[in-house]
Amino acid sequence: MTVSGTASASRTAPRPASRRATRRREASIGLLFVLPVLLFFVAFRFGPAIAGALLGFTDYQPGADTSWTGLDNFRRMTEDPLFWRALRTTLLYSVLAVPLSILAALAMALLVRRAFRGVKLFRSIFFLPVVTSLVLAGILFTWIFSAGGPWSSVMGAIGLPGQAWLSDTTLVIPALVVVAVWTRFGYGMLILLARLQDIPRELEEAALTDGANAWQRFRHIVLPELRPALFFLAVIETTVSFQVFDTVYVMTGGGPANASYMVVFQIYDQAFRYFDFGYASAIGVALFVMTMVVAVIQRLTVGRDR
Amino acid sequence: MSTTVAEKARAAAGGDPSRSRRRAYGTFRPSRTGRVLRAALLLLAAIVTLFPFYVMVVLSLKPIGPVTFPGSLAPTGLTTEAFDQILGARDVLRWALNTLVYAVVSVVGVLFLASLAGYAFAKKRFPGKEVMFWSFVAMLMVPYQVTLIPTFVIVSQAGGVDTYWGLILPTLANAQAVFLIRQFVRSLPDSLFEAATIDGCSEWRIYRSIVLPLIKPILATLGVFVFLWHWNDFLWPLVVGQSQEMRTLTTGLASLNAEQVPLSVVLAGSVVAFVPIFMAYLVGQRYFTEGVTMTGQKG
Repeated sequence: MTVSGTASASRTAPRPASRRATRRREASIGLLFVLPVLLFFVAFRFGPAIAGALLGFTDYQPGADTSWTGLDNFRRMTEDPLFWRALRTTLLYSVLAVPLSILAALAMALLVRRAFRGVKLFRSIFFLPVVTSLVLAGILFTWIFSAGGPWSSVMGAIGLPGQAWLSDTTLVIPALVVVAVWTRFGYGMLILLARLQDIPRELEEAALTDGANAWQRFRHIVLPELRPALFFLAVIETTVSFQVFDTVYVMTGGGPANASYMVVFQIYDQAFRYFDFGYASAIGVALFVMTMVVAVIQRLTVGRDR
Repeated sequence: MSTTVAEKARAAAGGDPSRSRRRAYGTFRPSRTGRVLRAALLLLAAIVTLFPFYVMVVLSLKPIGPVTFPGSLAPTGLTTEAFDQILGARDVLRWALNTLVYAVVSVVGVLFLASLAGYAFAKKRFPGKEVMFWSFVAMLMVPYQVTLIPTFVIVSQAGGVDTYWGLILPTLANAQAVFLIRQFVRSLPDSLFEAATIDGCSEWRIYRSIVLPLIKPILATLGVFVFLWHWNDFLWPLVVGQSQEMRTLTTGLASLNAEQVPLSVVLAGSVVAFVPIFMAYLVGQRYFTEGVTMTGQKG
């Protein structure tokens, strides 16, 4: 701050030496401004990320001696039926939740795409679940799915399994998927809506005058334009689904009979119930690898052109 | 592509072009059956979307006791009994205060740190800039749960369990905020900063009186978004706020829910947690939606 006088002088008379001084000054100011955030990143992001990976190779438990155990945790993981089960359940949940919430988002985006009276109200309504906390959604849907609750009654009335979905080992995952779609579709809708509004309207008008029907216009004009946004959504939704925790914690606690015991729930369970920080960290590493693999696969398939 | 043909097509489709022409996206008018179908679908979707909120409000206003379906959903016999009970318990007000502190301090901290860094990343040359910046961004790829345990170890070793600072400090390393602010500052003309330097402005003053006012739009949008995120955050407050007094609304409600507290009371608490967000949403809807599309487009 104090050297600003000399710096402004150097700008008006750019001699080599003073230009170097200006550069140095700019660099120190830059570093100074970045420093606070950098410290927080080192302390709470980079450090923990490295530590998280390293902890996976130890038997760290708070208050106990720690030793390096190499691949033991990972070996234990491969032999842990609960881990495989959590992995399978997480994948099943994601395979259902991701396409369904994207489809719902796409349908709603197309429905509220064009202006009509009240369109803003509808958009606001559909986005409302996104600003609702997952804990709150979990509490509400626990009652909605309960025996004799609205969901069970409606399902029973139309001839579908009508019992309490959350206490049924095969229906608990579909139930959590329903909650996921309710809480997430508004987010996707908004992302797709932003893209839809960028499509030049001449394109569709031309197709319309050429006699293309609604499906053809969607298939050949709208869908290709939406591809990057759909790719982005697929990655985000998969990440979110892999990391599902709040609703599981509130609605099922991993049950019944571990039927909704998923990867992040296991991390939490191992770390904060059994205090097995080493093993929990190893599962965290597995989650990271899983997320990366899926992101790469999606990039290679859906997202080629971006 | 001529407009006359398009208009003919529109007329043939039974549309009324007069109103739609005002809007860029009113060009196609669906047929009458199309419009009826769309209206029906929208109404159905809106009812399904709003149903849980209706459940929350109506059941929170029911007398404390067993809740039945569909009987309890009728908007009759309403009472504030559950609210009296939940607000009488001092914990809930404490949870609300905790949540507010957590959200507000985090927003201020994140915006301050990220705007300083974002400005430097956008307009200053210094060694290691690119490496630093992109390693921040790369951290967005690492799942939160991987860093959760070591962060908890660090915070608890430092005595941060059940403290505000333990809750707040780790959230100040927000890569997305740095990224978005840097993108925004990059679009501001260099000449502005040069002129200020020539006028003898100190760097701090440039930041205070030029950068901050100019990036207000992004700060507002980001601020609302970060606030919402912290208001609804669950896993970190669950891990760090272990005592009854240090719970936030989300972890507090989850604990009430687990303790078999009557549903009306839990839902009254939920209303307390939801109403501030709902109000903020009504007022600053633009910022919420911008926040989503902005973070969605990644610059």
